[in-house]
Amino acid sequence: MKAIVSNIQRFCLHDGPGIRTTVFFKGCNLRCPWCSNPENIDFNIQEYEEDGELLHYGYEISLEELEKEILKDKLYYEENGGVTFSGGDGLIQFKKIEPLLKNLKKDNINICVETSLVVSEELVDIAIKYVDTFLVDLKILNQNDANKINTDVSLYKQNVKKLFDNHCNVIFRIPLVPEYTYTDSNIEEILKFLQEYKPKLVQVFKLHRLGEKKYKTLNKKMPEFKNITDEEINSFMNKIKELKINVEYCKI
Amino acid sequence: MNHIKRIIKKILGKKILFYYNQIKRVSINVYSHENKVISIFKSIKNIRVYNSKNKIVSLSKLFENIKINKITNKNDNFYYDIDFFKMMNTPNSVIGNLCLDYSKILNNSLEDVKKHLNNKNIEFYNTEFETINIIEKYIDKIVKLNSKNITVCTNLSNIKNNKASSFQEALQRILFFNMLLWQTNHRLNGLGRLDKILIEYYNNDIESGVLTEEMVKNLLKEFLLLLHKDYKFKSNSLLGDTGQIIELGGIDKTGKYLCNDLTYMFIELMEELKLPDPKVLVRVSKNMPRKLMEKSLECIQTGIGCPLFANDDVIIDKLINFGYDKEDAYNYGTSACWEPYIIGKSSAQNNIKSLNFMFPLNELLEKENLNKITNFEILLKTYNNYLERYVNNLISDLKKITFEQDPFLSLFIDDCIKNGKDISLGGAKYNDFGLTGVALSNVVNSLVNIKDFVFDKNKMTLIEFNEIRKNDFEKNEAFLKKLKNNGPKYGEDDDFIINLSNNIINFASSIFENKKNILGGKYKFGLSSPNYITDSKTSPASFDGRKNGEPFNVHISTDVSNGYTGLINFAGKLDYNANRFNGNVVDFFVTPNFINDNFDKFVDFLMASIKVGFFEMQMNVVSSAKLIEARKNPEKFPNLVVRVWGFSAYFNDLPDDYKDYLIERALKNESHS
Repeated sequence: MKAIVSNIQRFCLHDGPGIRTTVFFKGCNLRCPWCSNPENIDFNIQEYEEDGELLHYGYEISLEELEKEILKDKLYYEENGGVTFSGGDGLIQFKKIEPLLKNLKKDNINICVETSLVVSEELVDIAIKYVDTFLVDLKILNQNDANKINTDVSLYKQNVKKLFDNHCNVIFRIPLVPEYTYTDSNIEEILKFLQEYKPKLVQVFKLHRLGEKKYKTLNKKMPEFKNITDEEINSFMNKIKELKINVEYCKI
Repeated sequence: MNHIKRIIKKILGKKILFYYNQIKRVSINVYSHENKVISIFKSIKNIRVYNSKNKIVSLSKLFENIKINKITNKNDNFYYDIDFFKMMNTPNSVIGNLCLDYSKILNNSLEDVKKHLNNKNIEFYNTEFETINIIEKYIDKIVKLNSKNITVCTNLSNIKNNKASSFQEALQRILFFNMLLWQTNHRLNGLGRLDKILIEYYNNDIESGVLTEEMVKNLLKEFLLLLHKDYKFKSNSLLGDTGQIIELGGIDKTGKYLCNDLTYMFIELMEELKLPDPKVLVRVSKNMPRKLMEKSLECIQTGIGCPLFANDDVIIDKLINFGYDKEDAYNYGTSACWEPYIIGKSSAQNNIKSLNFMFPLNELLEKENLNKITNFEILLKTYNNYLERYVNNLISDLKKITFEQDPFLSLFIDDCIKNGKDISLGGAKYNDFGLTGVALSNVVNSLVNIKDFVFDKNKMTLIEFNEIRKNDFEKNEAFLKKLKNNGPKYGEDDDFIINLSNNIINFASSIFENKKNILGGKYKFGLSSPNYITDSKTSPASFDGRKNGEPFNVHISTDVSNGYTGLINFAGKLDYNANRFNGNVVDFFVTPNFINDNFDKFVDFLMASIKVGFFEMQMNVVSSAKLIEARKNPEKFPNLVVRVWGFSAYFNDLPDDYKDYLIERALKNESHS
């Protein structure tokens, strides 16, 4: 069995607790225009050109090799750290990699996943068996507006409920994007949603444009977005704090 | 500087040329940099060189003529004054780059040392006896001139007859012996495990109320500033390379980690003073308190490049296996940069020669019929043949060295007195020579590229590839880029790379093994070296994508973006056994923001790295932007300190090629994040 990954990044300090190795899978069901990893949206390996050279986004890797790569930094993981599956959507290839997940658990490796949770129930069921921490996107909660990013709000909500029903460890991640996630009505919905679930931690972040070069290689253009001020971020974070929920700002 | 040399020669005759380097140092220190010629002439007329076939005569003349100064500021707590205009003629190599056992010096007076002198070798006995007399007379002269400063005088006089009994006295005694070393032409003088040596004096004085912590801190600050003051005079080939290294912390024989208030105080002072020198090394272990690692990282965060970490959990076993007594191995310090050194018991010249792994490959390419090298195994075998020849030549070169008779060191380095033999003749307990390895990284990457393009992918013949290399990759920019980026590379935790590196060093090791040096000791080497720039200037382009004259890679480093963990894993899998422990430093760049934003996780990383098993580690915490700005506007950055090979230096003091290489490495590091 082989997975399609675009990158395996070691010594990651922002993708969950401790020191981690992050595996970027290809494939995502959402189409967020601010996506920072546009090369991971498509499920297949993609060709692109750079300085006249033909290169590829994504490569196949066997589960054995992937495991070996993840275990290379085992000594750095200690109690907290481990592997984070990201993407694209970190859950997207979970069915394929279940044998790997089993081995990692046997090896006591902490597993995190970064996911939109807009995935089939089957993948969520597999994840619940193995994942220690879910880093779950919290984006747009009104279906009308959510169509802009191709998400399915009811599927999302159903999957979130499932995680909480199973007492999973969930951290919500909110990208603050004006006109998309950061609108008055959506903020209200987000706060309501958070109040309902009372997660242990919420992380908020601004979008960044580090992926711009990758857009170019894919013959796409990264759209411009309105800026969000520090005051706006602070006031949003304060509203979450008022709900007695831990919130932190993630610098990229 | 050659034209200056010629002018000096014309005026003063051949003899003065011999002192050229000393004169240069003196002039740079005393006068301004700007006009070297004028300042050199200004200093020449003040310089006195004492030259007699009889060492005792030179020594006594030297000490009779040293200018002794009055302590002018009555608040000064120490006497420390080197008259660097007075020097001895030392036509042979002076043994240096070592560290006296200061705990022994504090616990014994000069009269105690006299008592240990025996009649085994009457000539040696007389020389040593006279040497002590010369030092005692010198002490008397200083005391006479400074009689008003009672504390300083008592502390100095006690050196003759009493052991040191207070914290301040202990510091004065260390300063005094350090001063004697510099004054008698010794260079790169280490300071030893000062937290361990001084703690007893500190505890006593704090308990009895003689000193408060604040007073201790001030004394230590004065101590460090005195040592730093003449750094230009003390520096070797580059400004800042003084070898004034202090080792802190470390495990004892039971595995217990020893550190104390002074350990923290020294690090705090380094952080506060932000001086490039003296510099600090922390002996780390998995058993060390996390708090000490945090304190160390805070100091590193300031960018001053220290402390360097030496991993006790790896190093001590290697020392014992090589043949050092357990007791001695656990008490190791280092020579000027990082070469493990048995404190006070060894004549080890640990940076006696460069072991350049690229030179045999260059020779192979010049002399060998490349048609005959038809696969990778033959290539390796041929390389090894050239490596063997090269190492054997180094060994025979090292047979030609003569060391300067050294009655002063012979008094304080074990077992010269016991053996009745001068250190220059092999009187010390240990007499091993250390070589510093360079360019293994470039050789490994070159071999990988040859394997890949010639033998595996059959893109070209070795002869064709070699032609491109010989032409310095001219008009082959795209290919050059490919060569540079082709992996896997040295510094990655890739099995093939690790095995290839270990095969080469194991083979080099076997050539040195069982060979005795002229003092009866053995040879050892490590994979870190000051020579990555100097050695590279005459070295032609190499298959790793290094152009003609470009620097070799630094120590154990990588420009591959596998994070720091890959590099540490690689370092942890290199085989440092047998004679391969003469300094093996992992060297990398970190941006200040990266540590600021991730302090706790970075401490986790460092603690885990100890378990992974690096040998030694140092880092530069600075952004490329700052370095580039400082390169353009040096006047704005008078205090910017960076780590160079095994020491810290003011960025502005460095030659341009060193500055540029630091900038290049900082940029590479940032391109990954």
